[in-house]
Amino acid sequence: MLKRTLATVAALALGSSAALAHVSLQLKEAPVGSTYRAIFQVPHGCEGKPTNVVRVQIPEGVIAVKPQPKAGWTLEKIKGAYAKSYDYYGTPTSEGVKEIVWSGGNLGDDEYDEFVLRVYLTKDLKAGETLHFPVVQECPDGVAERWIEIPAAGQSEDDLELPAPGVKLLEAVSGH
Amino acid sequence: MRDHLGRSCIQVFLTGIFWYCLAVAAMAHASLTGAVPADGAVVNAPPKTLSLYFSEPVSPLVLRLILPDGQSKTLETFVLRDRTLEITAPGDLAVGTHVLAWRVVSEDGHPIAGSTIFSIGAPSNAPQAAGEVIDWPVRMALWLARIAMYAGLFFGIGGLFAVRWLIPGGVDGLPVIRAALLLGISGTAVSLGLQGLDALGAPLSSLADHAVWSAGLETSFGLTVMALSSAFLLALATSSRTTVSGRAASLVAIVAGSAAMALSGHASSATPQWLMRPAVFVHVVTIAIWIGSLPPLAYALQHGGDAARQALGRFSRLIPVCVAALTASGLLLAIVQVQTFDALVSTAYGNVLLAKTALLVVLFLLVAANRWVFTKPAERGEQGAARRLARAAIIETMIALVIFVVAATWRFTPPPRALAIAAAQPVSIHVHADKAMAEIAVTPGRAGPVGLSAIILAPEFTAITPKEVAFALSNPQAGIEPMRRKAMLHADGVWRAADVNLPIAGQWRVRVDILISDFELVRLEDTIELPR
Repeated sequence: MLKRTLATVAALALGSSAALAHVSLQLKEAPVGSTYRAIFQVPHGCEGKPTNVVRVQIPEGVIAVKPQPKAGWTLEKIKGAYAKSYDYYGTPTSEGVKEIVWSGGNLGDDEYDEFVLRVYLTKDLKAGETLHFPVVQECPDGVAERWIEIPAAGQSEDDLELPAPGVKLLEAVSGH
Repeated sequence: MRDHLGRSCIQVFLTGIFWYCLAVAAMAHASLTGAVPADGAVVNAPPKTLSLYFSEPVSPLVLRLILPDGQSKTLETFVLRDRTLEITAPGDLAVGTHVLAWRVVSEDGHPIAGSTIFSIGAPSNAPQAAGEVIDWPVRMALWLARIAMYAGLFFGIGGLFAVRWLIPGGVDGLPVIRAALLLGISGTAVSLGLQGLDALGAPLSSLADHAVWSAGLETSFGLTVMALSSAFLLALATSSRTTVSGRAASLVAIVAGSAAMALSGHASSATPQWLMRPAVFVHVVTIAIWIGSLPPLAYALQHGGDAARQALGRFSRLIPVCVAALTASGLLLAIVQVQTFDALVSTAYGNVLLAKTALLVVLFLLVAANRWVFTKPAERGEQGAARRLARAAIIETMIALVIFVVAATWRFTPPPRALAIAAAQPVSIHVHADKAMAEIAVTPGRAGPVGLSAIILAPEFTAITPKEVAFALSNPQAGIEPMRRKAMLHADGVWRAADVNLPIAGQWRVRVDILISDFELVRLEDTIELPR
């Protein structure tokens, strides 16, 4: 029984991830007031073209952003002021990275890669909601794929053509 | 106990993985990477196969071909080759624009849909569907009332003018003129109510309604009715006066009556107004003088004598001037209204004009024959010639009456000029959202190849310049899935998409995707109605 279930699950997982087209976050849930590894999965280029640039917008309430460098890609951290001051383990933080750009790479349409950030999810974020990270893939000839749509009230991600990857926020873990 | 805990952990873990996989599956999708014939293509020969290329293997759910006549055909014969879907096209494809609406499912079960459009030979418009229902009783009544109006104006007011100004001491034929005046005033009065019925789309049985008459009065035709009725009343009141005041009254009546006709109607509403309204006036007043004088002249000629000879002399000097003015103004009106030679044949208005012109040619031939053959002998006092001339004038009157009957049908045929303007009118909508709004226009506002444009503004009507704008058009009722077109920003600040073909009339969903900044996309969507 267990074997069969595992086999089904494995088949499903393998079969579906091959067809995955949206940029998504690998880890679907994270508690607020904690450090989160945002792993962006990029499964496709744009309309058959390779991806040269990946841009991630950092949503408000997400601070202490540290991107993981990638060989063959140039990293750029665009900084700015936050809407308010956030508490980072007792240190008030009112400015920081607002956008991360990996550029100069060449990720083929038939290739897969991951782009990783380490961020801190402040306690100002609301548990129970989904936090979205808009992502833009840029390809040659001005072509781009923009995973930037955030569901409005009453909408689900399935209603959107270009959903931004999201992470479900959980209650803060006590004791920290 | 420990074992139980372990099983629970595994269960939770498996459930988690299962949901994760489902979530992954729901997010996956394939996209169309190309089509043959290409989207928007015009091909010379009907294609044997229709190919769609996808980014991933797919399997079709529904494949539909919407034909140029608006009918939809389900396509069931297809071959899947890896990521290519080859569909066998029906063998009997006609010339015109076709829409291939497809709905496929990618391997993961996520259905996606779209439409590609191609034309065989040349892009076509959808055939006109059956138009509004015509209320024939109202239409017949309007037509008869219009004929009565013409008869009253031309034979009544025109006749009175001829009796007062052309025929010395003329009192003959007055009963006929009075009858024509009475017919004219009743026709005019009734047509006000009928115009109201037509404006409101009400049946003939509602003619007693107060609202119907006030609706009639509110149209531009209300002015015509008032002015024409005044002219009829003046003519009736002074019809027995032979003095100077009677002559003056008949002059005022013919001027007022002709001016009344220039106050409304197809021709009077054409531009340039300063030219068209006077042209209508000249046309009507010259018809009234010419045609109006025919019955009294025939009457005088039959009775003979000096009066008849004098009248004939005045008539033959005045009428050529009238006919010249009549023809010139008529030609001008026809050129402005019909615009192209094609429209003479292809539109109802043009057909009426052709019929009217044919009758006019017969009338002119008769007039010319009379003038060159009989007028001189009759003026010399030859009785036989005068009698023949009198008979000819009666025949000419009859032909004129037939021309009025034909011309009265123009009430129901919009001129090609107006048809062209109506067809070129854009259909536009305003769509509003929190972050942006758009003024979307389809030009011309009919099915077929169109221009699609949008003016994008911030909510406070301030200008914004989006990075990109794209349109997505679908027609859910006809099964046409979204067709996507990128828009280009033009120097006038308008975003336009070329190469758009909306093959059928009806309700279209129009969506504008506005990329405000790299990370901010606003989608505005609404329904636009293309008139049939």
